[in-house]
Amino acid sequence: MEVFWRKRRSNNRTGSRWWLPLLPVVVFLAGWQLLSGVNLINPALFPPPTSIAGELVDLYSSGLPTRSLLLTHVMATLRRLIVAAAVGILSGTLVGALMGISRRLYRFLDPLITVLMPVPGIAMAPLFIVWLGFGDPTIIALGSIAAFFPLAYNTAAGVRSIDLQLVRAARMMGADKGTLLLDVYLPWAAGYVLVGIKLGLARCWRTIIAVEFIAAASWGLGYMIWDAAEYLRADVVYGGIFLLIAIYFVIEKGLINTLEKHTVERWGMVRRQ
Amino acid sequence: MKSNHSSVIEFLFPFLTVAALWELTVRLHLVGMEMLPPPSLLISKLWTLTVRGVLLHHLGSSLYRLTIGYVLAVGLGIAVGALLASRRTLREMFAPVLSMLISVPTIAWVPVLLITMGLGDRTVVTAIFLGGFFAITYNTMRGIEMVNPGQLNAARIMGVGGWRLFVEVLLPASLVSIITGLRLGIGYSWRALVGGEMLSALVEWGIGKMVYQARFWNDVLVMLIGLLIIGFSGFLLDRVLLKWLEQETVEKWGMLAKR
Repeated sequence: MEVFWRKRRSNNRTGSRWWLPLLPVVVFLAGWQLLSGVNLINPALFPPPTSIAGELVDLYSSGLPTRSLLLTHVMATLRRLIVAAAVGILSGTLVGALMGISRRLYRFLDPLITVLMPVPGIAMAPLFIVWLGFGDPTIIALGSIAAFFPLAYNTAAGVRSIDLQLVRAARMMGADKGTLLLDVYLPWAAGYVLVGIKLGLARCWRTIIAVEFIAAASWGLGYMIWDAAEYLRADVVYGGIFLLIAIYFVIEKGLINTLEKHTVERWGMVRRQ
Repeated sequence: MKSNHSSVIEFLFPFLTVAALWELTVRLHLVGMEMLPPPSLLISKLWTLTVRGVLLHHLGSSLYRLTIGYVLAVGLGIAVGALLASRRTLREMFAPVLSMLISVPTIAWVPVLLITMGLGDRTVVTAIFLGGFFAITYNTMRGIEMVNPGQLNAARIMGVGGWRLFVEVLLPASLVSIITGLRLGIGYSWRALVGGEMLSALVEWGIGKMVYQARFWNDVLVMLIGLLIIGFSGFLLDRVLLKWLEQETVEKWGMLAKR
């Protein structure tokens, strides 16, 4: 009885109050605009949202007939993300799968991974600059490393957690090694691998931006933000950070959710919430 | 159950193997000494740095910043999380913003903080705070939300309310989730600490700064030592501090299966 009543009430409420989450955002932005407009907060440090948006448009249109300044920065970062994520995800899944199959390898690599995983990519940047120099090689290498760890960790956990009954049942029904791998191990571990991809991609993105702060030679969203911060161009800094949040939001919602829908959900490993 | 002794050896074995291989590669001149100094040099340098007190100074200032930022994040995070859990309207208002803010990489706050709060300690501590705050707030809110209503009603009927309800019922019942938040939080705070120290020009001491400064002399030895210390400290903070907290509370109370 009570639960029933509660459910109805909550449905009613969310139905009529969808605008509630927008309220703090709108109040925040309006307050910022207003205070900055009348100089109550320093507009050099907190430029009003409208001028941040204006700056983004300016950056986009500068150099436009040939190539837009802003787009070139964004594309440089995205290119690095794609290469680094691909390398990190593939190698991580492979190593993770091997760790899942071999107990020996797991015992050997697990301590190394637990100690190396909490090292932030940006801390490794000085070392990699010495090894590989400024620019793409360092940024992509650190991005791959960042993506590698969650993949290896999660894939290993996924393969290790497999229900042995399933393996035995499949074997009994005559499955060979290839079938076993593709039809039993893969779907079982896929949920874990996907969680790994989600975490790995987030780490990769974060690391690439951070390393771009100190190791990029000339292009990239991180480079743009850092360069602007050094010259106290607050509007470019805020605009760039807004952009990187927005881009990642799109990547996560678009890419990862689609991937999920076409794999583990279709195979019935997880249910849609 | 294995004895403590053999599990320590099992943990150290991979490191010793890697160190031996590494030493061999360098001694056979397969890579340059200045690109990858061997572990033997690493240990002697580590010893000098420790004896001269340099390392302790770096590590001490890092831990000092981490403590301030993280303690603030824990206190405010739990308080705000509890507030959001107890007021439906507030929760509907702020939960989406909060889940959005969690996904912002902590390092992205640093340029903003450098502009608004200067190039010194304040920026680093604020970054540490922001790193931990959102994760702790979110998990506290979710934890309290999911407390069994029956348990809550039982406590209310027995006349427990207000502060006592929070401390004696809500907090223990949602501790599993809160500890998840604390663990996530210390990870984010730790990363924010290292990144913040590296990027703040006026910070002179700190383990992140040590690695960053080594860049100016291309001192790979100091960088490697710094990285090792960053890795082990991050690992210890999680395993020793928070694992201990988990064992002493929720595992002891039987809310979590022992692993």
